[in-house]
Amino acid sequence: MGFAFDVAPDRPENIDTILNGLDRYNPETTGLFQEYVSQQCENQTYDCYANLALLKLYQFNPDRTRDETVTNILVKALTVFPSPDFNLGLSLLPPHVVAQTRLSSASGGPASGTLAEAVQHLTKLHHQLVNASYTAFWSTLDSDDLYADLVADVQGFEELMRVRIAVVVSQCMQEVQRDVLESWLNVSGEKFERFVREVCGWKIDGQTVKVPENKENSAQGTVVRETVKFEQFGRMVKRAYEQPA
Amino acid sequence: MSVRQAPGHQQGAPERSMGDDSDVEEEALANDYREQVDYDGEDYGLDRQMSLGGGPQDLHAQLVAAAQPLEYQATLETKIQSYDSYCNLFHFILNSEGPVDIEVPSHYWAWDVIDEFIYQFNSFCSYRQRIAFQQSTTAVNEDEVAILRENPSVWGCYSVLNVLYSLIQKSQISEQLAATKRGEDGKQYAGEYGSRPLYQMLGYFSIIGLLRVHCLLGDFSLALKTLDDIELNKRAMFARVMAANFTTYYYVGFSYMMMHRYADALRMFNHILIYVSRTKNFQKNAQYDSISKKNDQMLALVAICVSFSPTRLDDTIHTALREKYGEQLTRMQRGGPESLPLFEELFRQACPKFISPTPPDFENPQINIDPVEHQLSIFMEEVKNNMWSPTVRSYLKLYTTMDLTKLAGFLDVDADTLRSWLLVNKQRSRQVRYAEGGLLEGDVVNSSDLDYAMQGDIIHVSEAKVGRKLVDWYLRNLARTY
Repeated sequence: MGFAFDVAPDRPENIDTILNGLDRYNPETTGLFQEYVSQQCENQTYDCYANLALLKLYQFNPDRTRDETVTNILVKALTVFPSPDFNLGLSLLPPHVVAQTRLSSASGGPASGTLAEAVQHLTKLHHQLVNASYTAFWSTLDSDDLYADLVADVQGFEELMRVRIAVVVSQCMQEVQRDVLESWLNVSGEKFERFVREVCGWKIDGQTVKVPENKENSAQGTVVRETVKFEQFGRMVKRAYEQPA
Repeated sequence: MSVRQAPGHQQGAPERSMGDDSDVEEEALANDYREQVDYDGEDYGLDRQMSLGGGPQDLHAQLVAAAQPLEYQATLETKIQSYDSYCNLFHFILNSEGPVDIEVPSHYWAWDVIDEFIYQFNSFCSYRQRIAFQQSTTAVNEDEVAILRENPSVWGCYSVLNVLYSLIQKSQISEQLAATKRGEDGKQYAGEYGSRPLYQMLGYFSIIGLLRVHCLLGDFSLALKTLDDIELNKRAMFARVMAANFTTYYYVGFSYMMMHRYADALRMFNHILIYVSRTKNFQKNAQYDSISKKNDQMLALVAICVSFSPTRLDDTIHTALREKYGEQLTRMQRGGPESLPLFEELFRQACPKFISPTPPDFENPQINIDPVEHQLSIFMEEVKNNMWSPTVRSYLKLYTTMDLTKLAGFLDVDADTLRSWLLVNKQRSRQVRYAEGGLLEGDVVNSSDLDYAMQGDIIHVSEAKVGRKLVDWYLRNLARTY
C-alpha cells in the first residue's frame, strides 16, 4: 500500500498550485486555505499537507490566526490517529500556546476561552487515543461541553473515530470480547451489532466478535532471507580483472 | 583577511567602517539602518540600494568574506552588518542586469556561503529569542534590547527564505535536476543564469539550505518535500562537499524522526555515519573537527531511533554507539519512566537549534519560550506513549502463546492496561517506510521482528527470524585479502 504524505486525492487544483508555488507564503491565501479546511470538515475528506501549510502561514503571520480553524485542523488530525499529523500540527503552533497546555489544573491551567485551553483539551484526547485508552477517550469526550464544541464542526466525528478504532482492532485481534469492544467503540445493543456487522463486516458469536483474518492479524512467523544482488560483487569482479593473480 | 575589516570593504561606504567605534558613528549606522528597513518593507529587505564601488578586487574580497564565519565574539552591530552585506551580495547576484560574471573562489564556496548565511540567521534568531525571554528574570544589556526592538526585520525569516527561493528560481535548478532525473540533459533547462557554475551551485545548495530552514522552523514534512528533485545517493552534487553531504543527511534523518519514520531516519544516519567512518582518514583535519560534533549528535539520534524501533545496526556504528552512549542506550532500550530523562537529554544534545519565524515579543518576555523546548515537549509526548513497548516486547519474545491475564499478572498491571499496551505496540510497529519516489512517499510495513495477534485473551506471538547475513561479511573480508 503506497502512501505519500504530500498527496491528497480530493485536493482542488487551485490549492495544489498554491502548495507547489511560492504563494504558500502569501498571507492572502489564508482565506482559501481556511475555506478548504471547512470543506474538509464537511465532506469528511482530509488533507494534512495543505492544513500544515495553513498552520505555517499562521506561524509567519500570527495576527491572521483564526483559533477555530486551528482547532478544526487538530480535530481532523485526531481522526487519523496514530499518524504523526497531530504532532506535526503542534510543532507549527506558537510555543507559548503549547507551553500553556502543560500548566497543571492546580495552577489554574490556561485561561478559559483561549486557544491554549482548546489545544490542551485536544492534546488530552490525542494522548488517550495513541495510548489505546479508547474507553477513557469516550468518557473524556463526554465530560465537558467544550469537547462537544470543538468537534462540532467536523461532520461525523464520532463515526470516524469508531471506524479508526475498528481498524486498529482488525489489525491486532482475531477475536475480541463483546463487552471490551462495546466500551472501545462506545456503542451497545442493537446499534453495536449493526455497526459491527454492516460497517466492519465482522461476525458476532455470542459474547465474542470474530474478526476475519487479514494480513496484519494473522501473526505468521517468517524467515527473512538475505537478498543478494550481483551488483554487490561488482567491485570484487572488477578487482579480479585489474589484478590478475 | 580579518573579519573585522570585512564589513568596511563590503559596504564600500566609508561611514560604515568598524575601525571607528565612536557613538556618533553608531548612531549614524542605526539611522541608516532604520531608513533602509523602512524603505524596503515590501521586498523583505532584499532590494537594497547598494554601492559596488571598488571594482573586481573588492568583489572578490566580498565573495570570500561571505563564506567566512563571523568571530565568536562578534558584537550585535557586526552581526547586523553582516546581514546587510549578505543582502547586498545576493542583491547584486540576483538583480544585476543579466548574470553576474564572476569567478567562484573555490568549488565549495557556494556551500560555504549558504551554510554561513543560514548559520548566522539561526544563531541570530536564537540569540534574540533568548534575550527577549531573559528580560523578565535577569538583567540584560538594555542597549542590545533596544537595537533588536528597533530592527525587527534584521535577519527576518521572510528575507532569508526569499534569498533561497530566488536563488533556486534564478538558476532554474529544480528544472535542471528534474530533467537529469528523467534521463535528459539538465543543461537544456539551465537558461542564461543556470548554465553558469556560480548560479547553479548557489541554487543547488539553496535547496539544501531550504531543507535546513524548514526543519529549524518545525515544518518537517515541507523540509522533506524540498528535496523532491534531489536524489540522495553518492553521485549527487552535494556529496562532493563533505559538510553539505553531512548536513543533508542530518536534517533529512531528523525530519524523518519527527515524522515517526524511525526506520527511514536510521537509514539516513547509518548511511552518512558509515561514510564518515570510512573516509575520516582522508579528511582534512579542520573539516573533520567541525563534523565530529555533528557525528556525535547523529549517534545520539541513532540511539533514540533504535530504542523506538529495534533494528540490527551496522557493526561500525554499533561499536561507535556502544562507546559513546552505551550506558544510555541500554537504559533507553529498557523503557519505562526511568528512560524518559535520557531521551530528553539526548534529544536536547542532538536536535537542531529550532527558531521561531517571527521576532520575539519584547513586551511580554515570558511568552518567548525557546522553540527547542517546544519541539522537545512534543517529542517527549511521543516517547511517553511508547515507553511500555520495550517491556511488552521483552516478555512476548519468550512465548508463542500467552494468556493476557497471566501476562498482566507478571507485569503487575490490569488486563485493560495491558490490552492497550499491546495495541499501542502493534500500531507502532507499523511504520511508513521509503521504497521509491519522493522522500515523503513510502509503504506501511511491519518494522519489528516481533508480531502478534489476540484471540480474545490469548496472545499468539510470531517472530520473523532473520537469516544470517553473510554477503557483507564475506565481501569485506575478501576485500581485505587483496
